[in-house]
Amino acid sequence: MAPAALLLYAICLLWIVGGSVWLLARRRYGVRNVGEFAMDLLGFPVEIAQSLWGRSGVPYAFLLPNMMIFGFFTFAPMLLNFWVSLTGGDSIALLSRPFIGIANYRDIFNCSDMLVPKTCSNAGFTFWTGMFNTLFFVLIQVPVMCAVALITALVVNKSLSGRGFWRAMFFYPVMLSPVVIANIWKWILNRKGILNAGLDNSAETVTALAGMAGFDIFATILFAVLLLICSERALRAGAEPSMLWAALFSLLFVAVVVWADPLQLIWQTDTRLSLYPALILAGGLLWLVSTGRRLARAAIVGLGVVAVLLLLTIQFDAVFDFSDFRPVNWLVTPRTGWPFFWLIFVFTWSHMGFYMLILLAGLQAIPSDLYEAAKMDAARPLRVFFRITLPLVMPTFTVVLVLCLIRSFQVFDEVWLLTGGGPGRETFMVVQNIFEVAFASDNPDYGEAAAGSVLMAVVIAVFTFFQLFVTRRQSEF
Amino acid sequence: MTRIVTFLTRTKGSADKAHRFGAQDYLAYGYLLLGVLIILIPVSWTLLSSIKSEEALSGFDTRLLPYSQIVKDIPGIGEKPIYTLTEDGQTQEVFKQGPTRRVTEVSPVANPETILEVPRTELKPSEEIRIATENYLNPLLQRGDQKYFNFNLLLWNTVFVTVTATLITLLINSMAAFALSKYRFRGRLTCTILIIATLLIPSTIILVSLFFVVWSFGIFGSLWGVIIPAAATPTGVFLLRQYMLTIPDELLEAARMDAASEWRIYWRIVLPLSLPALSVLAILSVIWRWNDFLWPLIVLISDPSQHTIQIGLTTFSGEFNTDQNYILAMTVVSLIPVTLVFVWLQRFITTGIATTGLK
Repeated sequence: MAPAALLLYAICLLWIVGGSVWLLARRRYGVRNVGEFAMDLLGFPVEIAQSLWGRSGVPYAFLLPNMMIFGFFTFAPMLLNFWVSLTGGDSIALLSRPFIGIANYRDIFNCSDMLVPKTCSNAGFTFWTGMFNTLFFVLIQVPVMCAVALITALVVNKSLSGRGFWRAMFFYPVMLSPVVIANIWKWILNRKGILNAGLDNSAETVTALAGMAGFDIFATILFAVLLLICSERALRAGAEPSMLWAALFSLLFVAVVVWADPLQLIWQTDTRLSLYPALILAGGLLWLVSTGRRLARAAIVGLGVVAVLLLLTIQFDAVFDFSDFRPVNWLVTPRTGWPFFWLIFVFTWSHMGFYMLILLAGLQAIPSDLYEAAKMDAARPLRVFFRITLPLVMPTFTVVLVLCLIRSFQVFDEVWLLTGGGPGRETFMVVQNIFEVAFASDNPDYGEAAAGSVLMAVVIAVFTFFQLFVTRRQSEF
Repeated sequence: MTRIVTFLTRTKGSADKAHRFGAQDYLAYGYLLLGVLIILIPVSWTLLSSIKSEEALSGFDTRLLPYSQIVKDIPGIGEKPIYTLTEDGQTQEVFKQGPTRRVTEVSPVANPETILEVPRTELKPSEEIRIATENYLNPLLQRGDQKYFNFNLLLWNTVFVTVTATLITLLINSMAAFALSKYRFRGRLTCTILIIATLLIPSTIILVSLFFVVWSFGIFGSLWGVIIPAAATPTGVFLLRQYMLTIPDELLEAARMDAASEWRIYWRIVLPLSLPALSVLAILSVIWRWNDFLWPLIVLISDPSQHTIQIGLTTFSGEFNTDQNYILAMTVVSLIPVTLVFVWLQRFITTGIATTGLK
């Protein structure tokens, strides 16, 4: 038995026996006051502190247990990390670990090219692969999470019926454990799972529909009508073009251009290059509409004419022919990007509700008279969002950014359970590296893992401070 | 008619603000509906799959209802899966006499002696809707082919960790919060800053050295190694402190007049008054401990008698990849308490997190 445990038992014994004697000597307890006696016994050190030092000693006694646990299990490990990272060997006894200086760090930095993990030593290879993967993950995850959480919070903040229900529903996945989440999604994303089955089914249905006679004409007319409705609504008479309908219109426009693919006449490729000019045109249109230019009306009409002309050239039965659909092994197929995509999806799925709630609290703290004033001035919704909502929710948003960054950096559970770092090392994260080096290998190298943790802490600190520095001006608002 | 439409499409708000459904409302409801579907469909699909039979799961039956093939006891032969055979407009129940070939030998159930030779393609499995309760009952009752997954032990360990850790968390966090909110003393600001600083220390970067600390305390490999390091939560202290600041000091002064000791003031006056905040923290703590994964994995993995549900589920799905029916059923079982807590108490949780802004 470790000496610390022995000490613990001694303290417990002293507490119970000494406390009972002390309490019984000073107070009277009836048989019915057993509960009271137990509570008093529990707080016996506080009573001692009060009788020894008076009321000024009491707060320290109250704080002691909490701060002791913080000290031993949070702050001490922080400092200990540096010491462990400077020692080698696989001994668990702290004092018998030999001091080896910065050898662990040198191992990690032992690379001929820092940007290519393959050129590193073994320790460096796993660490930097994990680090680069994690950085890539964070770079995509944080904006996606913040955007989705903000949009959801904005929608839930509207005066809709059943607000509590929607809010609770979005929060539900936050309560599920990573193991449950991983099992659920593994089952869904199995090669023969429901997702592939559903996709296969709908691909078959659409292909069958597209093969029917007259589908081409029908689809052409349908899309023409949709375009007509959208542009008509966007160009509503007597008012400025509506942003929402303009957005729908540009979505349709992009789809039509991509299907027609006019650039294919110039460059004969299969990559649908027309997507990029279409996106640029649609973006330009949205910019015109959002800034309220005169040109916006003309642009909508012009793009509408272009879209209708292109619509006539589309072979819809070829566009909607999905007969070459094959089920994808979502989490296993290498070099497709799907494992990474699903990690980001599942991570967003499971944590979004939490950030949404924080943002919602921030949104609800915005005084409503500001919005009433904006309404008096007939401000456009987009302008209200950028001039009132966004600046005022910025402090909360900064908190969300930092929390999300720190959390995404530590991503482990979901990844380890869903893909195990695979395929290959495509989704191998830095925490998994630390875990495997220290706890999941036959000859654990605690020094190496501690060095990795220290480096990871440095990267997180740099990112957090950088982010706080960038958003400092907005949050002072 | 128009009245009905107006009534159905009216949105929340006072009468003069009430407006008809616009495109924005449609988009908003569409977005919410899509989100809820994305959240609910995977969970309910898991739920539906967990009551399907083992054969249906290994064959990846994607039908909604739990169909499973009928098995009948044929006298003198034993239990056989039943197929339906349609010949000349007549259907009869048959079972296979030998291996499945292009032309398979089958016998009618009513007359097991006769042997018919039919093409494989004409045999359709005869199915019934049956809820496969064995998926749940075998692991829970330790029976059948399911002996590795000692669910009751896992459940007991998890409940022990959750309850003990939550009680300790409530006690020491409320004590610290009481000291920080109701006393003026040297070092109060330092303590508050230290506690907030621990919020920003990611738990994964102290993993290795925390392992050393826990090992030298002699609690590595036991449930206490999971309970104690997680007992002091900065979130809890913060949440309770904010709440206790609203309790008037006059109540405490009155108690001091009556010569109550400080400890009595704490647990007879302050604790009952901060019950709302305590219940929020209790719910949060239960969820945290129930779902804890990485740290219990490190501390408890070497001793199977100390595993919690989450670890048990992981090792189980790692080792016995074929037993998908048990994996799904146990996933559902470990999901149930959290879901129940959520359904009953979601109002507390959402407001608790929204007011502290922390997790």
